[in-house]
Amino acid sequence: MSGGQYQHLFSPLAIGSLTIQNRIVFSAHLTNYARQDGKPSDQHAAYYEARAAGGAGLIITEEHSVHPTDWPYEKMIHAFHEDVVPGYRKITEAVHRHGVPILAQINHNGGQASSMYTRLPVWAPSPVPDPLFREVPKAVEQHEIDEIIESYAVVAARCIEGGFDGVELQCSHSSIVRGFLSNATNKRTDHYGGSLENRARILHQIVAAVRDRMGPGPVLGVRLCGDELIEDGTTIDDAVAIAQQIETNGGVDYINTSIGVATASLFMIEASMHIPPEYAMFIPSAIRKAVDLPVIGVGRFKDPIQAERALAEGHADMIGIVRGQIADPDFVKKAKAGRPEDTRLCLSCNQECVGRMGLNRWLGCIENPYTGREADLGTPPDQVASVEFLSRPRPKLAVVGGGPAGLQAASTAAAAGLDVTLFEASDKLGGQVRLAASIPNRAEFGDLVRNLGAECRRFGVDVRLDCPATIESIEALGPDAVVVATGAVAARPWWAPPPEDGGATVVDVLDVVSGAAEPSGSVVVIDDVGFHQATSVAELLADRGCQVEVVTKAMVVGQDLGVTLDMETWWVRASAKGIVQSTDLVAMGYGDGTLTLLHHPTGGEQTRSPDWVVIAAPPQPKTDLYHQLQDQLGQRMPIRRIGDCLAPRRAHAAVVEGRRVGDELAAELLTSPHPEPAR
Amino acid sequence: MNMIGDPLSIGRVQLPSRVVFGPIATNLADGRAFSDRHTAFYRERAAGGCGMVVTEHASVHETDWPYERCPDATEASRGWTDIAKACAEFDIVAVAGLNHAGGQSTSAFSQRELWAPSDEPDVNTREVPKIMEQADIEAVVAGFGAATALATESGMAGVEVNAGQFSLLRQFLSGLTNRRGDAYGEDKTLLVTQVLAAARANVGDGIVGLRLSCDEMAPWAGLTPDAAAAVAAQLAPLVDYITVVRGAIFSVAETRPTAHHGTGFNLELAGAVRGAVQEAVGDSVPIIGQGSIVSVEAAEEAMASGRCDAVEMTRAQLADAQLVAKARSSAPIRPCVLCNQLCNVRDNRNPIISCIANPRAGHETTDAPEPTGVTTPTGATGSDAGPPQVLVVGAGPAGLEAARVAAGRGLRVQVREAAERPGGMAATVATAPAHARLVDLINWLADDATARGVEISYNSPVTADELEGFGGQVILATGSTAAPRLFKASDDADIVDAVDVLQAAAGGELEALVDGKQVAVWDPTGGAGAIAVTEMVAWAVGNKGGPPVQFITPDANAATMLSLTGDLAGANVRLQQAGVDIVKRQRMVSVSRGSVETVHAFTGERQTIAADLLIDVAARHPEESLWNDAGARHVRAGDAVAPRTVAEAIREGRAEAMALPLAPTRTLDGEQL
Repeated sequence: MSGGQYQHLFSPLAIGSLTIQNRIVFSAHLTNYARQDGKPSDQHAAYYEARAAGGAGLIITEEHSVHPTDWPYEKMIHAFHEDVVPGYRKITEAVHRHGVPILAQINHNGGQASSMYTRLPVWAPSPVPDPLFREVPKAVEQHEIDEIIESYAVVAARCIEGGFDGVELQCSHSSIVRGFLSNATNKRTDHYGGSLENRARILHQIVAAVRDRMGPGPVLGVRLCGDELIEDGTTIDDAVAIAQQIETNGGVDYINTSIGVATASLFMIEASMHIPPEYAMFIPSAIRKAVDLPVIGVGRFKDPIQAERALAEGHADMIGIVRGQIADPDFVKKAKAGRPEDTRLCLSCNQECVGRMGLNRWLGCIENPYTGREADLGTPPDQVASVEFLSRPRPKLAVVGGGPAGLQAASTAAAAGLDVTLFEASDKLGGQVRLAASIPNRAEFGDLVRNLGAECRRFGVDVRLDCPATIESIEALGPDAVVVATGAVAARPWWAPPPEDGGATVVDVLDVVSGAAEPSGSVVVIDDVGFHQATSVAELLADRGCQVEVVTKAMVVGQDLGVTLDMETWWVRASAKGIVQSTDLVAMGYGDGTLTLLHHPTGGEQTRSPDWVVIAAPPQPKTDLYHQLQDQLGQRMPIRRIGDCLAPRRAHAAVVEGRRVGDELAAELLTSPHPEPAR
Repeated sequence: MNMIGDPLSIGRVQLPSRVVFGPIATNLADGRAFSDRHTAFYRERAAGGCGMVVTEHASVHETDWPYERCPDATEASRGWTDIAKACAEFDIVAVAGLNHAGGQSTSAFSQRELWAPSDEPDVNTREVPKIMEQADIEAVVAGFGAATALATESGMAGVEVNAGQFSLLRQFLSGLTNRRGDAYGEDKTLLVTQVLAAARANVGDGIVGLRLSCDEMAPWAGLTPDAAAAVAAQLAPLVDYITVVRGAIFSVAETRPTAHHGTGFNLELAGAVRGAVQEAVGDSVPIIGQGSIVSVEAAEEAMASGRCDAVEMTRAQLADAQLVAKARSSAPIRPCVLCNQLCNVRDNRNPIISCIANPRAGHETTDAPEPTGVTTPTGATGSDAGPPQVLVVGAGPAGLEAARVAAGRGLRVQVREAAERPGGMAATVATAPAHARLVDLINWLADDATARGVEISYNSPVTADELEGFGGQVILATGSTAAPRLFKASDDADIVDAVDVLQAAAGGELEALVDGKQVAVWDPTGGAGAIAVTEMVAWAVGNKGGPPVQFITPDANAATMLSLTGDLAGANVRLQQAGVDIVKRQRMVSVSRGSVETVHAFTGERQTIAADLLIDVAARHPEESLWNDAGARHVRAGDAVAPRTVAEAIREGRAEAMALPLAPTRTLDGEQL
């Protein structure tokens, strides 16, 4: 296939001794899939294989630690143990089965680490504590520098033994090499500190040692940071100069790029939807102008058109697309087949990928319930399974509710071969996701509904909008099972008077985004949830000219924005919009236009008299239909409940429950003996 | 001596002593199964004379996976079997802790909904649980029954059912979390009653204990001491013992808190519960006291005064697994300082449980036992006269631990300390609020070293020439020194280090230091030291009627590194109650006379803050002048490597002492033998 509109994307490229078939790289990123003993896992192999099968041009694994002093997070591959090799072979054989090359990224994180797991001093160029880990490192002595260089060479050779096509040296966002390159962390006065030549010395020594040990065949790449975005940090001029030195010295086959420091400016490395796409393009662009080596560009590339354009404009030779392929392992295959609309497009929400990494949990995806579970669940279905073996009509499933839970259940069940009808009471799909995405800077979240809706249609789900389900309408369908995904409704906290009794200007965030309420003037937004609900409505209202204060009983407004790397940009926007943030305050009452707040650390009372009060609080599950169905049909067929009507949570919970229940019901209905007609 | 060494009958089992090792989270599990590391960990405590080991809570149902390495009862059989056998070697009773954390769990690992009595979200996770249906309740009761049967088959002496912190059963008992309209709401004890019955039905001859939160510290709807006493009396006929704890959703850190909360805080509560239980069932149901009981004296007093029949001393037995054995022989016990730095491991990072004073805790399968023998291959002993084989420079925690352990290995050891007292930075920090117990640890280290024949000289700095002339092994534990300032400062700016403040306080000069001044504290560390110094300063300022102290942090809150100890919220509350203004998310730009300039970490907005005196709590640098002068060939430990905490100092002091060759390797003139 020619690749159609993506001529650049699907043209081959030589990198050292390798030729890659297309320009899309599944570049290095943490997964937390390593086993407790530091070995690579079967999940690693299944995960990378899924992206190889999906057509990635090149895969670069997550970093492997080259030395026992480097173990900054629990689930890191311990490449410094030779017993990783069998695990390497599993990964490389799985990926090579699909004709895709795979490199290992190798690293020592230097001072961006703690001694929690190693019980050894942290090694770094200078005793400058990292802003995240806060542990004062030991300034490495010459014999320790020699040991590090040797460990890179040993591990590189080990990776080749394990079947990798080469290695990439992580010299950017978290690395002892980065630590040496950067004036912010290198305060040495010996020949490893001071001038750029001195600061880059260890990098060139590692390159030489690795190339020497690997021999001329395997690919060697270097990943450089183009702007650390910190005081005294490396900037683009340094990065270009280092790239030129690398090219001059030889031995390296390509340059990969990145932006930011993992422990200081992570929000710019793994940018969420609040940072524009392609924001880091200036880095590969500048480096590519200065060197002939192939250059990889990264930074919120969401769809193939963007990548094609960046290649066509000459900013880079290859494009790293990580989250796009986390969300849909068949991203490349679908682009090549000319059906990118079938892709589960990444939302850049960072909830289950980035958001789980910092919490030491396995990598997942808000909209791909198979991510992180490939070893157990396989990969997402791309077509409807054949049920020709059935000697009867396909079993019928009724799904009530077109939010993410209902859509995912319908899609999964339909792909497995059930005859699925989805009832949605309103005129649009999406439930609360649609409302959340109606706020301008949260719009990309709405792709979840687009993706799920498209998949339901592709798998033949009969989607009925404006069609509130009742016992009667469900019975009329004659289903073999029912999934209830009716969602949740706003709950009024105990202290808020009813609208008709002095509480007319006390409303829920859902009332604001649905347009049922239109606050104006001064507004207090109460954040009892700690995610985007309060902050995005605060922004919406500030944009409409309101004076907004967000109040929370927690220690931080929008606490979980930190997890998804949205905290920094929220602060920047909130500050620009004049939004005030107040913490440690519990709402205690509202009357005569006055909101009473308790400052719980000190017991002090405060009041506010805003024109409106907007509450972001956990909603209540809508369970009436579920209980009616259980009572009236529960003896005859399975009635299952998923998503917010089970317990109001985030979209990911809805999606994983939809997948699980969809698969469980399909298995039950397709394997059971012919049931009595459900009448 | 002593009640704690006396036996105690619980049901049909007998405890050889009255000290219990409680069900503490360890992260030692292999996946969700008890591991060999668990067995070694509990065996060490059993060998030390502990009367009863209660193993880490195991989840009784698949809806409960509260932390990644939380044991799963269905996978626990092999581990329980091994642990029961290990304890039996010492005639010690092992009991299986069983739990369902309910709404205090997380969906992060199970990828499914939480179960709870009502849909009240947990305070910390804010995750809304599913309101349990009748079938769910029956599944949980069955889960407790099945887990009890498995524990009993595996040789455990019984089970301890958790209705304390992090528990579904307490959530059912409490008006904070149970707003049900059904029978389980009308009778909040109904589920616990059913669970205890299921446990009893499956435990055979074994015992059923109940861990009960008797004060939820939220009297508007939570279990109060009075209500809990009545609940305990009602449940007493169903159980063989009750362990009295406190804490609930609003007071997670209060159940096993740091030294800020004092010691033995639950004993009055335990006494009240014991009275109520005795009234109901006589003395057939012993009461176990818990709550920062870390000294033998406190334990004795608790029992002698009739507040409890046994004591749970979990952290004290992390610090010294030989606690009961040593109490029996009146030997000095390595103290727990109630810091929670390494033993409070319900953290996303899954740290292995350990102890700052005892690095082997939690690492029993990898770290060698502490050497206690004194015989060397040459037949000499540590206390014999003769020139020292090992010179330790510095009598801080690293140096003292190194000296103590080296002497334990039979080496003759001398410690030279430049100051007039032991402890180094730890002794300085010990003058701060809630850090006084560090003195106990320093004294224990120094006394134990001395008892092992180590000669410690104070006011005795070492020169490079002396090192050059020393014929034996050297360990440099010279501590830290102030680092260069990381911000611009004008010449007339008034800046002091946190250490200077601590020293001023120790000399009674703190009020003079801050008198009449607007004080600001710059804390880029987020650690306990900054909080302690700020509290002291705030009190001194308050005594002088001065303006609020400005606490400037780059973080979202003060004390962000204290989430591990459980003191994050507590520290922020204490600062605010002391009148401190917490200035958040600022980076220090420059300091001049009368003010400091900061920049917002995210927005880049500049801010000028009035400050006559700035206290800089910056990280320090290693004191390495001697190391540099002596040719950088000697071994270093603790802050001399990189300034960190007492934990690293003791760990490295021990490691370096364990690595010393037992025979001298250099002659007096420095040649290798």
